[in-house]
Parts: sequence; C-alpha cells; structure tokens
Amino acid sequence: MSSALDPGTVLAICVMAGATMFNRTAGFFLMRLVPVTPRVRKILDSLPGAVLVAIVAPTAVHGDTAMAAGLAIAFIVTKLTHSDFFAVLAAVLVGASLRYFGV
Amino acid sequence: MTEPRPSPVRITAAGVRMGMDAMWPLMPGIAVFGAAFGAAAAQKGFSAAETALSSGLVFAGLAQMVALEGWTHNWTPASLLALAMLTFTVNMRHFLMAASMRPWLGQLPGWQAYGSLLFLADNNWAAAMRYHAHGGNDAGYFVGSGLITWVVWLLSTVAGQVIGGGIPDPKAFAIDLVVPAFFIAMLVPNWKGRREAVSWGVAALVSVAASYLVPGWWFIVIGAVAGALAGGFADE
Repeated sequence: MSSALDPGTVLAICVMAGATMFNRTAGFFLMRLVPVTPRVRKILDSLPGAVLVAIVAPTAVHGDTAMAAGLAIAFIVTKLTHSDFFAVLAAVLVGASLRYFGV
Repeated sequence: MTEPRPSPVRITAAGVRMGMDAMWPLMPGIAVFGAAFGAAAAQKGFSAAETALSSGLVFAGLAQMVALEGWTHNWTPASLLALAMLTFTVNMRHFLMAASMRPWLGQLPGWQAYGSLLFLADNNWAAAMRYHAHGGNDAGYFVGSGLITWVVWLLSTVAGQVIGGGIPDPKAFAIDLVVPAFFIAMLVPNWKGRREAVSWGVAALVSVAASYLVPGWWFIVIGAVAGALAGGFADE
C-alpha cells in the first residue's frame, strides 16, 4: 500500500476491534445482572465444555479424513498421557502425514 | 466447583508466569497461522503497520482472516456495519466464554477483570478454565496465557506480512488441527459423568445440525447454549 496507515483501513480495523472488545466483555458484564442461583451456577459450569464441543464437533464433521483422524488421535493421546502437548503434536503429525499421502 | 476456595482471587506474577508456560505447546501453531494471515493481509494491501494494528487491537485470528475476504479501500457506512456484524458473529463465542468467567474474574476489581478479558482468546480461555476447574484461583494464569498469545500473534502476523510470499500452506502442515486438538485435550479431563454426557451430547448434536441449517457462525453459540442448558438441567 502507498501509505503506512490508510485512514479507511484504520477505521475498518477500529470497527472490528470494537466488535471483538464488545464480545470479550459484554457477556461478563451481563452476568453481573443475572442472579447466580444454583441452577444458573450449574448452567455456567456446563458452559465451557459445551462451547468447546460446539466448536470441535462441527469441525470434525465438516473436515477431511485427516482432521477426523487427527482429532481421534488427540483424544486417545490425551487419555493415555494426560498431556495437551503430546495430544496436539500427535494430531498434527497424523493429520499432516495423511494429507501428504493424499488420504 | 462450588466449594469455597481458600484464598481470594488475585493476579500474581507467579500466576502470569504459570499461564505463559502453559501455552508454549500451542505457540508454533499460532505463529504459523499468524504468518499465513500476515501474508494474506499483504496480498490485500495491508502495510506492516496496518497488520500490527489489526492483530493488536482486533486480536481474533478467525475474524481477521474471514474479514480479509471482503476487504476494500472504499468503506461506506453500510459496508462498515456489515464488517461489524461479521466480526460480531464470527467471535460471538467469546461472549459466552467471558460469561462463563464471571464466577471467577468477578471477584477481581473491575478494571483488572475487564483488562484481563481484552486478552481473551479461545486457547487461553480453555486452558484457564481447566486450571480453574482443577482448583486454580490465580487470575494471573488467564492474563499470562492471554498475553503470550497476543505477543506471538502480533509478531508472527507482522513477520508474515513482511516476508509475504513463500509462507507454507498451513493446511499442508495440519496447523488447522492445532486448536481443535488442544480443545479435545482440554475437554477430556472435564469428563465427570452424566452431566457431561447430556451437555456435550446435546452441544454436539445441536451445533452440527445448526452448522447445516443456519448460515454463518451461529452454530457455535446455538450449540453451546443448548449444551449448557442441557447440562444445567441434567440432574432431573
């Protein structure tokens, strides 16, 4: 680009930043207004796992064979080693190998 | 998670260090993805300064990547509104992630809680919630893991912009598996029984169904809310 900081680009970046900052803080703010009853507490406790599953499950279903196999390996390695490092490493090695061989 | 915790919630330097250390297995993957974004941004005409500004302020890899597709240099109020809506929906999962941190970070002074949340990303949130579920109480863990992610993301995207071409295709190296595989490693230790079976089962079914039926990125939030509600009522 001709200039280091194009005004239009900077404006668009600021709009995006406003949206991500809103997402990062609004849910936390709104929970202040929700009385944390035992029921709400149980829902909140279930939320982290549900968010992770709602990202991983569609990723696995819509992904290629390498994605599905890599995620299955990540599950097995986590069970065996309790290490997120080895889980990620194994998933990447299996996924990259399968794609290299065109599976 | 309902038993009283021994010490008040604080942010300590030791916690920040602990959080940074917990993130290093993910950093190579984030750096490659960051470099790929930087290279793509260069092709769309981003300067190094604009790339740094985007990564530093927006700090959301998926949203930055998706927004690049429709990037223009003639922004109108309508296209800016569309950009805001796109960013909002792609990253709406952060809304739920932040909500789930209320019982923990809500015990901090406001400026510390909101300051910490500006560094919320998928990975450090997932790692911090696992840490917290296993009794950890030092919010520095969340801050440190977020800070290191922000620094590596910022530096790698700028490096990618400067290098430009020649960045290897992240998919060939299965970099797109890094985050979902990490999520699975975060999930497995949280399995306790019936509650998780119901909650995760509903989240999986609803999110997959929504991914076919609803356009865009709503499937994450729809599946997550359904799964959390199911988990909250699973004992009856």
